[in-house]
Amino acid sequence: MIFKIFKKELKDTLRDRRTLIMMLVIPVLIFPIILNVFVGISASFTEEVAQKSLKIGVVGSEQNYFIDKFIALPEQLGKKEIIFLTDTSQLNKLIQEDSLDLALVIPSSFDSTFAKLKPAEINLIYDATDVGIDERARNYVQHIEGIAKQERYIDLQIDETKLMPFQVNYVNVASKKEMIGKLVGGILPYVFIAFGFIGCMYPAIDLFTGEKERGTIETLLTTPVKRWHILFGKMGVVVISGLLAASAALLGLFLSIEVFDLVENEELLNIIHEVLSFEFVIMLFALLFPLTVFFAGVMIPIAVYTKSFKEAQSIITPLNIVMVLPAMIGFFPGIELDPVTAAIPVINIVLATKELIAGTLEFQLLLISFSVMVTLAIMAVLVSYKQFDKESNIVI
Amino acid sequence: MIKVENLSKEFTLTKQQRKEYATTTNKAIAVNDISFECQPGKVFSLLGPNGAGKTTTLRMLSTIFKPTNGSINIAGIDAIKYAQEARKKIGFLTGSTGLYARLTPNEVIAYFAQLYGIPKADYQARREHLYSLLDMHDFQNKRIGKLSTGMKQKVSICRTMIHDPEVVIFDEPTSGLDVITAENIIKLIQDCKIQGKTVIFSSHIMSEVDLLCDDLAIIHKGNLLYSGSMSDFRSNMKESNITAEFIRIVHESQNTVVL
Repeated sequence: MIFKIFKKELKDTLRDRRTLIMMLVIPVLIFPIILNVFVGISASFTEEVAQKSLKIGVVGSEQNYFIDKFIALPEQLGKKEIIFLTDTSQLNKLIQEDSLDLALVIPSSFDSTFAKLKPAEINLIYDATDVGIDERARNYVQHIEGIAKQERYIDLQIDETKLMPFQVNYVNVASKKEMIGKLVGGILPYVFIAFGFIGCMYPAIDLFTGEKERGTIETLLTTPVKRWHILFGKMGVVVISGLLAASAALLGLFLSIEVFDLVENEELLNIIHEVLSFEFVIMLFALLFPLTVFFAGVMIPIAVYTKSFKEAQSIITPLNIVMVLPAMIGFFPGIELDPVTAAIPVINIVLATKELIAGTLEFQLLLISFSVMVTLAIMAVLVSYKQFDKESNIVI
Repeated sequence: MIKVENLSKEFTLTKQQRKEYATTTNKAIAVNDISFECQPGKVFSLLGPNGAGKTTTLRMLSTIFKPTNGSINIAGIDAIKYAQEARKKIGFLTGSTGLYARLTPNEVIAYFAQLYGIPKADYQARREHLYSLLDMHDFQNKRIGKLSTGMKQKVSICRTMIHDPEVVIFDEPTSGLDVITAENIIKLIQDCKIQGKTVIFSSHIMSEVDLLCDDLAIIHKGNLLYSGSMSDFRSNMKESNITAEFIRIVHESQNTVVL
């Protein structure tokens, strides 16, 4: 009987346009849109900064060591247009109103100080809110500084290696897969959790509050079907909807990579291919299942208690913040799955998925996470049953 | 048959409800110790003004609510102890009944047939009979949301009768319907009577009661004010018509001080 109710409710749910959009359309589109926008913006931004010809104001003599080298800088370091100015009074203003991108102020004593082998002063003036300008300026200076150092080593007949006290070799034992898993792996489960929640939300409201609002619950309750059968049939659809929304997000990610070719970095692509294995997907859904049951079990008592779609939505929507936002803690590098974090619901799923992506998930911690979520899911189902069995809740 | 003895229903009031009803008591008595009997092949009408306790009584008969006290017997089954068995014998229709707008009449009828556990062969025959009777063939595959009120009413009737119930409970079945659409319900009640089913319906429309019922009970503020046959009611009337007599009985009960 539970399956008969489940089948009917699923059919009813899949015919609801609003639920379909929230459950399938948006989750499928989210990864392609995010990646497309991200790749597009970052590519155009990098290109724009590299192509930009900087207007550089110079105050000081038109001929000194630094200016000579500055004019002779290779074009690979970025195009530039040099404008000589007589004084510094207008420099700040010119930079702030974008008439200049950068200014060099070279004191008249530069050459004499430089000749004495002392650090000669140069002032670089820029606006830090113009992204990329300071990096270009530093590159210019480092390049000239490199040339000057080489010249001094030769003049002073110094072996450059004698000024290097250490030869440090940094050896990173973490694989790229581990680094990606632990540093950015939190985003993937977060998106699944967020869509799992939204996927559960509309069917939960529609199948419980909606049925009360439309006046169909009374007739259902007069049929010779046990109430818990009705509850489980409906709950099954809520859980499946949450999992479908998460699957749609996974499909969106797959399409972004395999069909739309939005990830161009070969190395990253190989790691993603390695991560997105069949075993990974199975494990991911095994972790998401109790979480989705828990979400359904939290939403259903609210949907059973409330009397209108609007009322239910106004309570469940803020709940989204309370339940899904903590999952963001999993974003922070350094927070890892341990016996304590494994006992914190929702966060444990994010952290376990991160470990899963990195390939470092420990069985004991997985067991704790899974047990915590299953226990909570059972408790949430019991609360749902208690609420659904209350006369005052099920009939308006 | 329906046999109700000393039936009562109390509701616990929430803080909000106590404020709304301007009361300090925690309990509200919706139905207070009522007893009556509905016979097969007869139509029993439960009369009462708004808030009298009609819907609560019918919800208890249809096993949606559990009574606080008393007993209910539906077609020989103790409906409190064996609610699930009793439900198999009951057809329940209210004026506010909704239908699943995204499903078709065929899908809704098939769903309820499954819920009542009707064997496939019986289901096909009953569906065909009801579709012909109610002239439903033309819209059987259209989404219910796109049907007219009259068509929806026919689907509701078909849904109520698909398991061929012995007892049919109607809670203000014609409320909100125009005369033409309400006629489907009137005809259904008359058909049920001819078929020997036990019919109970609540209403405050006296013309319907006059037209259909064999026995009646009047309740007000949860108390039973009258229970007897329609012919006895008519012959003992102190007013010129049944509407006036109904009003007189209700008013008289309000003036009676219960010690």
